[in-house]
Amino acid sequence: MPTWEANTPHKAHTISASQRRVLEVENLCAGYGPLQVLWDVSLHVASGEFVALMGPNGAGKTTVLRAIIGLVWPMSGTIHLHGESAVGLKTNRLTRQGVGFVAEDSSLFLGMSVHENLVLGAYGERDRRQIIRRLESVYELFPTLKARSKQLAGTLSGGEQKMLGIGRCFMAGPLLLLVDEPSLGLAPKLVDQVMTALKNLNRQGVAILLADQHVKRSLNLASRSYVLEQGRVALEGGSGDLLENDYVKKSYLGLL
Amino acid sequence: MHLQALAELLLAGIMRGGIYALMAVGLSLVFGVMNVPQFAHGEFYMLGAYVAYFAFKALGWNPLLAIALAGLAGFAAGALIEKAVFSPLHRRVREHWVLNSFLVTVGLSFVMQNGAQVIWGGNYYGITSYWKTPVRFVTTMGISLDRAMSLAIAAVVIFAFMIFLRSTRIGRAIRAVSQDETGAMLVGIDLDRIRNLTFGLSGMLAATAGASLLSMVPAHPTMGLEPLYKSWYVVILGGLGSVGAAIPAGLIVGTLETFSYYFLGAAWQNVISLSLMILMLLLKPNGIFGSEVKGIWER
Repeated sequence: MPTWEANTPHKAHTISASQRRVLEVENLCAGYGPLQVLWDVSLHVASGEFVALMGPNGAGKTTVLRAIIGLVWPMSGTIHLHGESAVGLKTNRLTRQGVGFVAEDSSLFLGMSVHENLVLGAYGERDRRQIIRRLESVYELFPTLKARSKQLAGTLSGGEQKMLGIGRCFMAGPLLLLVDEPSLGLAPKLVDQVMTALKNLNRQGVAILLADQHVKRSLNLASRSYVLEQGRVALEGGSGDLLENDYVKKSYLGLL
Repeated sequence: MHLQALAELLLAGIMRGGIYALMAVGLSLVFGVMNVPQFAHGEFYMLGAYVAYFAFKALGWNPLLAIALAGLAGFAAGALIEKAVFSPLHRRVREHWVLNSFLVTVGLSFVMQNGAQVIWGGNYYGITSYWKTPVRFVTTMGISLDRAMSLAIAAVVIFAFMIFLRSTRIGRAIRAVSQDETGAMLVGIDLDRIRNLTFGLSGMLAATAGASLLSMVPAHPTMGLEPLYKSWYVVILGGLGSVGAAIPAGLIVGTLETFSYYFLGAAWQNVISLSLMILMLLLKPNGIFGSEVKGIWER
């Protein structure tokens, strides 16, 4: 993109769609060995957006996220991050390119302290001052973590571990955060804390793709959502629209 | 028993144990990070002895420099072998990694031993001593300066290595890989590079051990066997895969052997160590210090 175009805001509409999109998944087919789980899944996340990926257990939400981050290799289809192909790239390289993944089990370093986990989160970051600044942000976002900074990650409660997982991802300064079912197994109060933290992160400009079973909450958090059923995208649209959708109301919200 | 004799035995035990600890740390590292039961570890010890011999005798280098060169050679050999052998193996082997990698290390051991035989023959390449004043008397005990220096070298290297693991970015990354590989990938760590570095470091530690004991054990192709199974005793005793536990375990085994040697005779020292290892595997397989191994450093 030529520099003069960047300096003239009224020309913003000429920036191609793929460059505005942090994530573009097209016709993704993926699975585990011979077992295909995803069938022609297409979705996108624009820069700074909060998008929810909803659907029942086993629909394939985790597989989508893992395919994006390189832990599962697609059978066919494309995945683009900032307009560049991300298929076949190693996970650690994708992380360095600004995608973070908070797994269901957080993949924390259980034998290390909270502090060390966070410091490791910034492994790819060379600027020491940036690391310190982000560490402060994380402690501000999660005061409980600050209180337990010397504690071993394995001794934290479920909620605290989820928060540490998110915090550790944030340390890398991601532009897109993939979050997999953060609310599972958490008490409602902690769920609120985690969701508030995600909302705050989003306000700071981090795009979020949240996989969550809880439809009502997801629709309240995200501006746009996809409904995944049996490995296919069943519905997509703005959260407001989906809340009014009859199918969603009947199948997921228990209304009608 | 005389207090003095006791002190001398303890000192002898620690000097022996220091080298055991050095070897065991390298072994634990590879097992803890790469999940490879290294049975060619003794051959890196052998490599170190040969390199140190040639640097010291043929090139006339200062002993410390010769030992340092040996360490470097061990590192280079480890890194090269990992790249050529274990990295492709890791890509291909989906199941039974531990058994497969173990068999490969046994094969590697054969290749290295016979390689040494082919290149340097079956001769023993030894030196009388590294340092000019060969014997110092501590109380009534005569300690060769070489042996004392071997303890000093082992202590310094182990200490430096521990600081490296604990406080540096790469050291932390190595610990992270040993705890959670997925997590390590997710924070941006390149697993291939870390594995390569780990194997190199393990080779370096073993080679340094072999080099520092050159005046006591001359370089020859089969010299690696004894250090190998001694290292395994120590690692099993201390707890598989824990680098931290390898140090006290090494000292314990060294001291135990010295006492067995003194009280029961030379032939019994291995019997004692082996019996202890068998007992440990039967009763407390996680080792003295092991509860549940969570990576090479942490418990």
